[in-house]
Amino acid sequence: MQTKTLADPLSRHGIRKVRTICGYCGVGCAVDVLARDNRIVAIHPAWDGPANQGALCIKGQFAYDYVHHPDRLTHPLVRGRDGRFHRVSWDEALDAAAEGFLRVQAKYGRHAIYGVASGRTPSEANYLMQKFIRVAFGTNHIDNCSRA
Amino acid sequence: MSNPLADMEKPDVIFCIGTNMTEAHPVAATRLKKALARGARLIVADPRRIRLAEMAHLYLPIRVGSDTALLLAMAHVIVREELYDLEFMEARTEGWEAFLEYVQPFTPEWAAGITQVPAADIERAAIWYGSADRAAIYYTLGITEHICGVENVQSLANLALLTGNVGREGTGINPMRGQNNIQGAGDAGALPNNYPGFQPVTDPANQAKFEQLYGRKIDLEKGPTKVQALEMAGDTIFAMLIDGENTVVSDPHQEHTVRALKSLEHLVVIDIFLTETAELAHVVLPAAAWAEVDGHFTNTERRIQRIRKVVDPPGQARPDWWIISQLAQRMGLEGFDYDSPVPVFNELCRVSPIYQGIDWELADSGRYQWPIPYRGHPGTPRLHEGGFINGRGKFTFTHYRDPAEVVDDQYPVWLTTGRRLETYHTRTQTGRSLGMDYLVAEEFLEVHPEDLAAWGLEDGDWARVSSRRGSLLIRVKATRRSPRGTVFASFAFSDRPINVLTGSGYDPITHTAELKVCAVRVEAVAPEEVGPIQETLALA
Repeated sequence: MQTKTLADPLSRHGIRKVRTICGYCGVGCAVDVLARDNRIVAIHPAWDGPANQGALCIKGQFAYDYVHHPDRLTHPLVRGRDGRFHRVSWDEALDAAAEGFLRVQAKYGRHAIYGVASGRTPSEANYLMQKFIRVAFGTNHIDNCSRA
Repeated sequence: MSNPLADMEKPDVIFCIGTNMTEAHPVAATRLKKALARGARLIVADPRRIRLAEMAHLYLPIRVGSDTALLLAMAHVIVREELYDLEFMEARTEGWEAFLEYVQPFTPEWAAGITQVPAADIERAAIWYGSADRAAIYYTLGITEHICGVENVQSLANLALLTGNVGREGTGINPMRGQNNIQGAGDAGALPNNYPGFQPVTDPANQAKFEQLYGRKIDLEKGPTKVQALEMAGDTIFAMLIDGENTVVSDPHQEHTVRALKSLEHLVVIDIFLTETAELAHVVLPAAAWAEVDGHFTNTERRIQRIRKVVDPPGQARPDWWIISQLAQRMGLEGFDYDSPVPVFNELCRVSPIYQGIDWELADSGRYQWPIPYRGHPGTPRLHEGGFINGRGKFTFTHYRDPAEVVDDQYPVWLTTGRRLETYHTRTQTGRSLGMDYLVAEEFLEVHPEDLAAWGLEDGDWARVSSRRGSLLIRVKATRRSPRGTVFASFAFSDRPINVLTGSGYDPITHTAELKVCAVRVEAVAPEEVGPIQETLALA
């Protein structure tokens, strides 16, 4: 015999639900992010989250508008000779970034470059930040923002 | 944290020091509340009468920066009353006999003179902590953001070693990490002294291993910390790559930070907004935000958890892993041709002994807490069970010393800084989230009502706060959360940059800045000095 299942009310309204981890403090609350049309519409605490067991603070539950804020950077920027930022392609921006590091290295040596990784980005970003500094310059000139 | 978050519900005595947990880690605090409902006793040491202090069975209102004195005196009482765990010390520690001698002079009366906490309360705290079957310590930046941050932590470790409150359920020494992945940043090797997985760079075996993995010579010397790097900027350091940090607003002594970043010939910033720091850059690379990338965060209990992409990033914003890989390839480097975060994480696991037992697929369950030393290992929710990784637990002979800056006639008030529940860090995110502004619309200085009256100020007035490094205008708020002679503000608002005032010193070992203490002067200001801009802000 087939069991009848109720139609999922979320999907009926075109809402997707994705399990992830809150991006604020270090507690690591599991959350379900509800999204429709590429926009976050709500965040629910996960009852089976190992750290939070269904609890969530006001930041975790409500402070997500910034993701879609018009202030978000949407293009690479390079400072021109006029001292202002100009929108450029990724190609131009990456070239400018790379050339700058190579120029400084040629002028002052490999110990003249320093990397600061983030306590906010995923571990994949942190791993690559330290790998970049160690492989590019052979130094341990890398830290993260935990000291201040 | 030595113990899992679940253990927060299990101690008999909970000792919280330098942690504003209900505001900075609210969900962790709910677990602590469960312990209290179950009958656990709570001791809170904090200069401010915060919510946690109101919940405490015993509140120790210590003077800012006097933690080590309190902790030495607690050790003294535990020894005097013979509340130590001799069996544990003999089996698992070394140097304990000397430590029992060492703490003799540090009487509660001695500590009362420094901490301004009555000796009887110090005794009671020590007796409660020392007599409990399960006693757990929780702390945050109120312990570490001092010139004596290391000695504060060592003093806490002494208490736990003395009483055997390590490696068991409901015990431990538990620092609450402040950022979603600050633990993961250290795990992944973004440190000047460690390769991924906390493998010291000064060990030639580690150097050889990574030289082979990365295909190039790497220095055997530790790198400078970020604090040192900012001091070296414009002198020996001329280029920086900063990913997702608003250094200008979050770091102490803002004038120094700005001068350092401006002296660079090349500054590349990866971020999601044009922060005050990105505004100083030569190249700004737009990153995908939280909910726009796949990857992992490691939380305060060392739990590795998967984060998932929910929505597409705006415009041409890209994930950090892609940006850094592309940059590396532009510089002609090999080993950066990643097509997704999956091989990046798998490489991190492969090269880190603490992550070696997992990979992208296994981490999906979110049930692993490191160390996970080999495939099939269940992970380690609780550290130091049965033994310490480095052999025997060592007591440290700590000393009390004054903060880098003490109050005097010119700067007679203590300033301490921290976070608020409704704002996060420099507000780049919470400041752009509807509703949060409604809860906390501006920064204010928390002052004891009697201090306000003594300084000729009323609640809501504008005041000028000055330290040896700078000054700013800020409105005052009357509250008994602040003790007399100590004021508080958060560093969240870039238009009230509290960090123009801070920066008196840093811990000589960790280089963690003494953001919790500096000496200031608070003065009433005439309305004309406040000016029209400030008034508009006040009305907004």
